[in-house]
Amino acid sequence: MPAIAEAGPVPAITPPATPPSFGTLALRWYRLNRGGLRAIAIGVISLLAFLLVWHLLTTYRVVFFVRFTNVPSPLAVYASFTKAIHDPKFLMHILLSCRRILVGFSLAAIVGVPLGLIMGRFKLVHEIIFPVAEVLRPIPAIAWVPMAIMLWPTNEQSIVFITFLGSFFPILVNTLHGMTMVDPVLVRAAQCLGARERAIFREVYFPASLPHIFTGLTVGMGVAWVSLIAAEMISGQYGIGYFTWEAYSLVQYADIALGMIAIGVLGLGSSLLIRGAGQLVMPWRLK
Amino acid sequence: MSEILTKAPQGHIEVRNFSLSYDSIEGPVQAVTDTQIHVKPGEFVSIVGPSGCGKSTLLNAVAGFLKPTTGIVTVDGERVNGPSAERGMVFQQYSLFPWKTVRENVEFGLKMRGMPRSQRERAARTLLGLAGLEAFEKHYPEKLSGGMKQRVGIVRALATGPKVLLLDEPFGALDAQTRVIMQQILTNMWQRLKISVLFVTHDIDEAIFLSDRVYCMTARPGSIKAEIPIPLERPRQQSMMMSSEFLALRRGLMSLIREESIKAMGGEISDMGMQGLNIELHGHSLADVI
Repeated sequence: MPAIAEAGPVPAITPPATPPSFGTLALRWYRLNRGGLRAIAIGVISLLAFLLVWHLLTTYRVVFFVRFTNVPSPLAVYASFTKAIHDPKFLMHILLSCRRILVGFSLAAIVGVPLGLIMGRFKLVHEIIFPVAEVLRPIPAIAWVPMAIMLWPTNEQSIVFITFLGSFFPILVNTLHGMTMVDPVLVRAAQCLGARERAIFREVYFPASLPHIFTGLTVGMGVAWVSLIAAEMISGQYGIGYFTWEAYSLVQYADIALGMIAIGVLGLGSSLLIRGAGQLVMPWRLK
Repeated sequence: MSEILTKAPQGHIEVRNFSLSYDSIEGPVQAVTDTQIHVKPGEFVSIVGPSGCGKSTLLNAVAGFLKPTTGIVTVDGERVNGPSAERGMVFQQYSLFPWKTVRENVEFGLKMRGMPRSQRERAARTLLGLAGLEAFEKHYPEKLSGGMKQRVGIVRALATGPKVLLLDEPFGALDAQTRVIMQQILTNMWQRLKISVLFVTHDIDEAIFLSDRVYCMTARPGSIKAEIPIPLERPRQQSMMMSSEFLALRRGLMSLIREESIKAMGGEISDMGMQGLNIELHGHSLADVI
């Protein structure tokens, strides 16, 4: 650190105008971000500790109520990972799952958000649709599998349908909730600035509901993955859920953990994407 | 004063035979009854009264948010049928759009009117400059202090050039020092724009300091108890609040409101009850002692 501090030439004629040296800046940056850096450091240590415990439990094949006899070690999983990334079949499983999520989730958002907005604005639409939605909502998407297979001509369509259903209700309900939370004073403020119905919808109701809409999208994305994996395990031929189940049937224990980790990473990645989109769309919420 | 008349000033508010009631399970509840008020063009008029007396109800009816049960509200002879940009409104809770920057908030009314973007941007910048907020045009409201928010609120309401400005306890949430500055800013803007103002407050000093006339309302169901002209000369200075003239007006209004506040609270506080509370606390909390 001191070496860097001395590196810059310092024209010390008018002291107040001197820009702070790199060392000072680095120190200040460190002070301001100390909390964040600490969290990252502890996070890394905690993940490494998790891997270490996993490694120890599996190499010593611990049996203590829970049996680690057949559980693959982290190294075995890593080995099957390096093999899998060169395997076009594994990549195809992942791509297919991603495509199903993309289609199912997008459809849910395209239908759920506008429907929620309209239900929130027009009482009659709410009164008609809400009871049906409330009856269907508690049914887990997985329970729809047999029905979906009957409803849709292809397996692919029924899996996308299950994914759609999983994410649809959280998106709808949260959008609706957002609409009911809109501050009526803001609506009145818009009205006495000359805004009519459509402008109020576009300029007040919609942006005011956005935080709740994004909560719905985040929750919906999580449920979409849950539903997708379940559907793939039950009725699929491809997809990362099917890959994980198939690994169990074929006694490829390392691939089970690989599938699980892949699902986790994909779920994390997709919720990060939604969070990023939320920050883009709602710059006023940035701290 | 003669200058105002030659400009054919607008913004004559008239409320006649006004009453407003709403339904409840126990039958209709009278919020405001048998009320007449008016604001002459360019006049600054305040309404004061005990809390819950219906002064905000009255203001909301002038704004067009509430329909009178009986009577009529007109501005320049035209009946008020709903909210419109002709009647600008400033709310106690600021009610700025959190998703719009300061400038976008000010632009909103102009945008609704269909003014092209570049033109309304220029207009908003000029207005923000007048309020000393040009440096904050790109900020989101959340980042502003209460006084700054309310300055934006006033500028936003004035941007479309309304005939009248309605303010519903606009400085109620501000600290005392900011409040005084805001009163000065509002007075300045009002004098420049020669706009009619109807101002609702429960702060008697504020009402006297700002107004040409003050209406004092009775406890619920609200009606006009008294109309007090404020003959203090303008421009008004903060120091006037110590003058005997000001204090006399204050005393008068104070006793009017006190009567009504006592009614609103359901009668005098009983002496018996007060005797029971004659406890020396010596630093203990009341709960501890009782």
